Amino acid sequence: MKLNVVISGVGGQGLITLANIIAKASLKAGTPVVVAETHGLSQRGGTVIVHVRLGEVSAPLIPKGEGDLMLSMELIEALRYSDYLRGGATAIVNDYLLPPSLPDVQVPTRDEILKAMNGIKVVTVNATQRALELGNARVANIVLLGRALKEGVFEGFFGKEEVEEVLKEMWPKAYELNLKALNS
Amino acid sequence: MPKYSEVLSEEGKTEIMLGNAAIARGLLEGGLQFASAYPGTPSTEITEALSYFASKKGVPYVEWSTNEKVALEAALGAAISGLKAFTGMKHVGLNVAADPFFSSAYLGVDGALVVVSADDPWMWSSQNEQDNRIYGLHAFVPVIEPRGVQEAKEAARLALEWSYALKRPFLFRITTRIAHSRAPITLGKINLEELKAEPRFRRDPSKWTLIPEFARRHRVELLRFWEEVKGELSDFPLNSVEGSGEIAVLASGIGYVYAKEAVKDLEIPVTLIGISTPVPLPDRVIEKALEHDKVIVIEEGEPVVEAQLREEAQKRGSKTEIFGKMDGTLRRYGELDLAEVREAIGRTYGMEVERPKVREVPKLPPRPPVLCPGCPYRSYFYALKRAVNKARVEPIYSGDIGCYSLGITPPFEVQDIIIDMGASIGAGGGMAQAFREDPKRLIIAIIGDSTFYHSGVTSLINVVYNQAPLLTIILDNYTTAMTGHQPHPGVGIGAGGRPAKEIDMESVVKGIGVEKVLVADAFSIKDSEEKTLEAIKYVIEQRKPAVVIAKGACSLVALAHARRKGIKVPQYYVEESKCTACGICYKAFNCPAIIKKEDGKAWIDPSLCVGCGQCEQICPFGAFVIKERVPEWDQLLRTAKPRW
Repeated sequence: MKLNVVISGVGGQGLITLANIIAKASLKAGTPVVVAETHGLSQRGGTVIVHVRLGEVSAPLIPKGEGDLMLSMELIEALRYSDYLRGGATAIVNDYLLPPSLPDVQVPTRDEILKAMNGIKVVTVNATQRALELGNARVANIVLLGRALKEGVFEGFFGKEEVEEVLKEMWPKAYELNLKALNS
Repeated sequence: MPKYSEVLSEEGKTEIMLGNAAIARGLLEGGLQFASAYPGTPSTEITEALSYFASKKGVPYVEWSTNEKVALEAALGAAISGLKAFTGMKHVGLNVAADPFFSSAYLGVDGALVVVSADDPWMWSSQNEQDNRIYGLHAFVPVIEPRGVQEAKEAARLALEWSYALKRPFLFRITTRIAHSRAPITLGKINLEELKAEPRFRRDPSKWTLIPEFARRHRVELLRFWEEVKGELSDFPLNSVEGSGEIAVLASGIGYVYAKEAVKDLEIPVTLIGISTPVPLPDRVIEKALEHDKVIVIEEGEPVVEAQLREEAQKRGSKTEIFGKMDGTLRRYGELDLAEVREAIGRTYGMEVERPKVREVPKLPPRPPVLCPGCPYRSYFYALKRAVNKARVEPIYSGDIGCYSLGITPPFEVQDIIIDMGASIGAGGGMAQAFREDPKRLIIAIIGDSTFYHSGVTSLINVVYNQAPLLTIILDNYTTAMTGHQPHPGVGIGAGGRPAKEIDMESVVKGIGVEKVLVADAFSIKDSEEKTLEAIKYVIEQRKPAVVIAKGACSLVALAHARRKGIKVPQYYVEESKCTACGICYKAFNCPAIIKKEDGKAWIDPSLCVGCGQCEQICPFGAFVIKERVPEWDQLLRTAKPRW
């Protein structure tokens, strides 16, 4: 049994942190895990993909067309990496469109993006908006993870209890805030 | 939770670790006593993790060195003094350090020396693709490469131990997907007593000096060692043979995890030979592989193992068919891909493997990495372009390696050439001499602070010595920002936060003999523009070099300070009635926090704005308004240095 998870978004949105939480929760649940990240130059507000592989796997990268699940923090970046997903995969996507920071850039609309994701089960989440309501834009990734858990996409790999334990260990002072984000 | 706390975890525990942190832990378990490195993606976190450990435990000695050559020399000096030493760098760093690297093979060590080269196939954060295992072949330095992140810690420990036992330097080669992957790692014991330096020096010029007489003897000994070590490496603990079949899959380093998963997916009987010792290829690995009718070699980078195997097959008159990158079975560029490895192994076995169906993605606008909101380089570049326009010169921007490389994209486009670390001034000086007689042309070198200390200093000496009419801009944000905020000689802080001597940049530049040196506040567009214009006029009129040092802290470092100190970071908003939708802010200035609305007016994304105040300076209509001024924040933006 294995689960190929594609995490995508814009550098600075907490994508590596999100992958790290999933990895730590998997370890607690006794699930093997490999995460491949993007660092350095590619991180400064650029497009980012993180590969998370759970279960009976050993190689770090997900081949195109073999992703089972996507967690995306931004709409354009969800579509950009949708070729990593197999048909019928699930995508939990932050309902947040951030145009690339280029002069006179032409971006697709939200509806055009969602339409182009046909054949994939897309679940949209107002994660950035919810995080700002909670008073900290940085917890948007936790809101997204909370919604993914509600959808049951990690069943058989790890559960919400493990995620809560990880959040408590990683940020004891911000635990209440993270818990609110996870449950919102 | 601090970023590298797992490095301190107790023996027997299993932790999720970044490959580079696992390598640091492996070196510590092997008894590391000395570490020196220059940051470079994807190698940096090894030394960061070691610094973190040292800041808590007092051992081993860890330093950020000025550049890779110095770092390798420092580690070699320690290893000659009987210490177990490490130096680490990105692949191109080893080009900088190649000179002492070759000499280290001749000299050997009295302690241990592990040189980590972090290669970056497909250039995620680099200027070229380079497989540094070839350096091992060239210099006669044995190479260890871990078989995936899962074995990174064990391989690092063994590399240090083998170097110590054989008294030879070892090259430890990793690629991006080992350095920057995470997996569960089970920890071994660290003996703190062993990490304390106990230096010794056995005086023997015939061993430690490379004058021709002694170097000739070393050369002959080195060739003998090379033949012997092929036997010894056959027993390296992280080499294995699994299963058996008519075809063999010989997989090296990270190639092993791809081969292993591919063979499992294909459910075919093959002999899987997985090695961590690609250079020199051990005797018994060669023998085992050539027992088969067919061998396919899986490795990341160049066909280093494959070429050695083909050479040996030819020497031994073997009939074994060999497949890999030299015959086009696998791609020679980029990273390994599981689907491709699966297909290649399947085809070698005689089986058609279906590739996964891949969806078509409609064409999307690119999202290149950009200067962060609040980056002082943005306001400086804006001022620079204005100054150049006012001076009516035709600029050529000689670029360099660092965050300012991002100035390549519109609207700034201030990186016309990028070569290597320090080349902005070196190559810029050459261009300035080439265009010496053209009064309209102005060559402008743009370099960052860390890169300036790395190798810009020697180039600037050349520019002054030969009086090239070059304008050099040193963007000083008090840190090596691109690699994650390491200190450098200009910061006054050493690895792990220990105090260090601050080398004052202005004094260095003046000491070199630059007669026109101006220091600007990079956050102030007016100040930066005025000083840059003055420097431009000087170079044009005097035909002599000038330097502008533009100072301003990395906003990410300032933000980290603000969070810790509880300083509120202010935010700007757009006064709708004043915004005329002119577009200067999102077209010519291009802060990622400023978004163009459908009506053409600007909007500030509150999740991105850091209240740096640059937009306020560029809007002719005063449409950007701060909610509340925070003087402490303005101060931090101009002074914040990395800390622990």
